[in-house]
Amino acid sequence: MYARDIMDHRFHTLKPDDTVLEAVKQLYSASQAQGKKIFGLMVTDEEDRLVGMLSMYDILLFIQPKHIHIWGEMEDLDPGDLFDERLESVKRVQVKDLMSTDLVTVTPYTHVFRVVDIMIKQHMRRIPVVDDKEVVGIIYRTSVFYSLLKKFTDAPDIGE
Amino acid sequence: MTTVRKRSVLSGMRVKEAMRRLVIRLSSDQTLARGINHLIKFKAGALLVTDQKESPCGVVSKTDIMAAFYGGLPVETRLGEIMAAPPLFCYPDEEIEAGLQRMGEHRVHRLFVQGATSDAVIGTFSYPDIVGLLYRYCSTCKKGHRRASAEGSDENRARVKEAMTPFVISSAAAAPISEAIEVLSAHTFGAVLLTDIAGKPAGVISKTDLILAFHHGCRPERPAAEIMGSPVLSCNGEDLLADALREMLIRDVQRFFVHGDDPLEIKGVLSLSDAARFRSGTCKACIPSRFIGD
Repeated sequence: MYARDIMDHRFHTLKPDDTVLEAVKQLYSASQAQGKKIFGLMVTDEEDRLVGMLSMYDILLFIQPKHIHIWGEMEDLDPGDLFDERLESVKRVQVKDLMSTDLVTVTPYTHVFRVVDIMIKQHMRRIPVVDDKEVVGIIYRTSVFYSLLKKFTDAPDIGE
Repeated sequence: MTTVRKRSVLSGMRVKEAMRRLVIRLSSDQTLARGINHLIKFKAGALLVTDQKESPCGVVSKTDIMAAFYGGLPVETRLGEIMAAPPLFCYPDEEIEAGLQRMGEHRVHRLFVQGATSDAVIGTFSYPDIVGLLYRYCSTCKKGHRRASAEGSDENRARVKEAMTPFVISSAAAAPISEAIEVLSAHTFGAVLLTDIAGKPAGVISKTDLILAFHHGCRPERPAAEIMGSPVLSCNGEDLLADALREMLIRDVQRFFVHGDDPLEIKGVLSLSDAARFRSGTCKACIPSRFIGD
């Protein structure tokens, strides 16, 4: 079994100049369209080459106040208004300001156990599949897990 | 003979109590674009630059990137071309006072914290981190902050005007971004106040705004108003220092502009760096303890 057998051909992408606000909307609409929670999206340039990845974690990391460790010592704190203020500051930030550029990719011909190995060792939830610089799919950890599980449960000696 | 030694609230405290354990490092052949991405993403003021052997060899701060923006360099420029070298270090068990003194001598806002070996960098130590420590000290001090609050008396508590820098630097909102950079470069401020035609506060440009503009492809010839933050965050000089610091920490801002009775008349700036240099707590209960006889 290879990456091409388990990769998802349907994927949404972002552009580096998109605002983070647009990225949040895109994450939401991608989840709606694919019927599952999408935690991160690929970022491609004008020639559809992969240039980065933006995850919910990247956005949350930015929204989180820098001195959050002191907040616990501040009584009578109403975080509601402050959070609105933080969101306001995010509007000026673009995808390229926050995206991760340390990219790990596989090709359609990468063996699925190599994919599993990368996901475990690098704590990755999703890996882009790139063929000759072009993004052709994405593999989610859940896809790998259920594909393998199906293979195991289909074996005649399992459960006996 | 009795000698008098000056002390502050921070006396005896170690760097490891205030330092941040996140170190942003990139190799010298990485681009400014990548550096800006990391500075914004991790809310850092500077990054550590490493050589081919992954040893620390320099520092690139927001100020350095701002200068590159002003000089018309492309964002593809390598970090190694603009870095300041060598990086300055302190040690986790060193006294905070010694670290602050080194920062003052070298006119830098942060030091990197060196671990067991010269290549091991385990944290950063900067003025805002010290403010967090001061705030913690004051919030648990039974002599000052809490007792004053319980008694309903603010008489002995420090005011913003005592710690602020009593002047501001400004530029016209309609003037080019390059002019704001020139004003910033001539001073050791982190932000410049922008004023409208009537000379009233219109917005603020910080070094973060400038490196974002650089990353977004904006030109320094554009009007400063296009990238400024608005409204101007300000407080009254008579406000309690503790309250102002609390607001700055929870709102994630580096500074408040300070006004008098008229909110449109800006008289000074209170930055986290100013508060750290104040080195006292936020009430006068600390002051007697700052002088002890040996």
